[in-house]
Amino acid sequence: MGMLLFLLAAGLTLIFGMLRVINFAHGSLYMLGAYLAFQVVNVTGIFWAGLIAAPIIAAVVGALMERIALRPVYNRDHVYQLLLTFGFILVIDEAVRILWGLEYKQMYPPELLSGAIEMFGSSVPSYRLFIIGFGAAVSAALFFMLDRSRYGMIIRAASGDPEMVRTLGINVSLVRTGVFSFGAGLAALGGAAAGPLFPIELGMGFNIIIDSFIVVIIGGLGNIRGAVMAALLIGMTRALGYSYAPSWVDFLTFILLIGTLILRPEGLFSRKGRTA
Amino acid sequence: MNAQRLLALLVAIIISVPLLFPDGQSVSLVNAILIWSIFAIGFDLVFGVAGMLSFGHAAFFGVGAYTLSLLTMRMGWDFIPSLGAAGVVGGAVALLFSYFAIRVSGLFFALLTLALSQLIYIMAGTKLRMLTGGVDGIAGVPRPDLFGIDFYDDGNYYFFLLALFILALLISGLIRISPLGQALKAIKSNEVRAEQIGFNVQRLQRSVFTISGIYAGISGGLLASLIFYVGPQMLHWSTSGDIVIMVLLGGMGTLFGPILGVAIFEIMREWLSTQTSHWYGILGLVFIICTIGMPKGIAGLVTQLWDRITPGGKS
Repeated sequence: MGMLLFLLAAGLTLIFGMLRVINFAHGSLYMLGAYLAFQVVNVTGIFWAGLIAAPIIAAVVGALMERIALRPVYNRDHVYQLLLTFGFILVIDEAVRILWGLEYKQMYPPELLSGAIEMFGSSVPSYRLFIIGFGAAVSAALFFMLDRSRYGMIIRAASGDPEMVRTLGINVSLVRTGVFSFGAGLAALGGAAAGPLFPIELGMGFNIIIDSFIVVIIGGLGNIRGAVMAALLIGMTRALGYSYAPSWVDFLTFILLIGTLILRPEGLFSRKGRTA
Repeated sequence: MNAQRLLALLVAIIISVPLLFPDGQSVSLVNAILIWSIFAIGFDLVFGVAGMLSFGHAAFFGVGAYTLSLLTMRMGWDFIPSLGAAGVVGGAVALLFSYFAIRVSGLFFALLTLALSQLIYIMAGTKLRMLTGGVDGIAGVPRPDLFGIDFYDDGNYYFFLLALFILALLISGLIRISPLGQALKAIKSNEVRAEQIGFNVQRLQRSVFTISGIYAGISGGLLASLIFYVGPQMLHWSTSGDIVIMVLLGGMGTLFGPILGVAIFEIMREWLSTQTSHWYGILGLVFIICTIGMPKGIAGLVTQLWDRITPGGKS
């Protein structure tokens, strides 16, 4: 759960860091990813094909969203961008409803991972372990890309000072499209990975988006390291909550959120100051 | 200024439809428009005047609806004091929210109000199920009982709602031209400068947020009485989304724009839902196009057209 949240929150926070846009439709992309993965698995019968294809298709959808809708409003107040992505929730949800209907869909983990493993005296489904490892690998790759690679350098520079980067001959609007589409892909990856864990339904985007917002706020907007920590924190809180006070689980996350805002209103920021 | 009058005329035409066509369907549609308009007028005080995007207004709206329903049905209160209480409770919840949410601004504010209202939504569905009836909600919410008039007739209820609507519009108009409204506009255009001049920014924002909560609470109570039902859907954040769409569609920051937005939204909902079951998706598309193409909403469009027709008479 924490790892799935991280995949979503990483995309959200990456998009925010680069474009200063809070993507309301992120939950819908997550849902779209789950449905796409379901479809691909149904057709090909191979789980991994779904896990790979869903993010790619969602990334294309994300790129189109950015190109067609978001680009014209960058120079307006940030509120408009948020509202635009809100409009996309309605459109994407409707598209999913038309394509796949209202029934629940069920996905199964691949045979390789359908068993359970004995750990610390209790049996853990191996698919869950896979999710943990997978999430860790993705986050490591993400850090490597952002901190060490040339692309990461361009992204960080372009979020800091887009004008200067443009002057240096880099196509900033292309970078923006890329980042948005990459974030969309991450959300769909989360959705595809979540497919075998939860029933795939229309409300799943609605449910997870609030949690990922909380993660992003606690971690500090635009801060991927913060997002990792916050996703784990929320995941752990939920897990502990379920075993000690099941009926208060939903409140615990909100208490964390409110606590963070009282102690550190801008989230647990590690870097100070506004970028872009 | 003339464009303002034109807008007012449009609004007047829409709300006077029941007088001209007293058949059942258009009356109940206009009744819904009047109620949502009260909500939208209040919301625009925060969104359009003070420039704060709240995604938590569903909480005040829903809490008002539950307050009215519970007081009239369980406690045996009369309708009018219950409606007042709905406003007070809506305002109180808004005040409570503002203590957390006004610490942050801009997008954070939108997210925080969203999270807080979702907390209320979850609470109504789980911890307070005894009180709220959980997912089933409460059916059988009454309408007012005044001067022996039968308000269960939609035609009569229309006049009751119209009176409240005009009152709400009047108060909002007064707030806009009052020192409070002027100070809020100053904060909207430059928060730092407003603070330097000596305005207590947070207190002003808190006041307008609370007033807006009162509006939302009252309109929530009214909607519950219009449809004789209150359910958790009214607390859900998609209700907050609806009101944002309505106000933006009509034109934020104008007195009559939000009402036009509500009217278009409700008429579209009424019409499209008979044509297709995918009306929400279509709404999303319309909303996206409007956000890109006409950020000032229908009110902005009307003003623009008016200026074009009367080249000399630019206000």
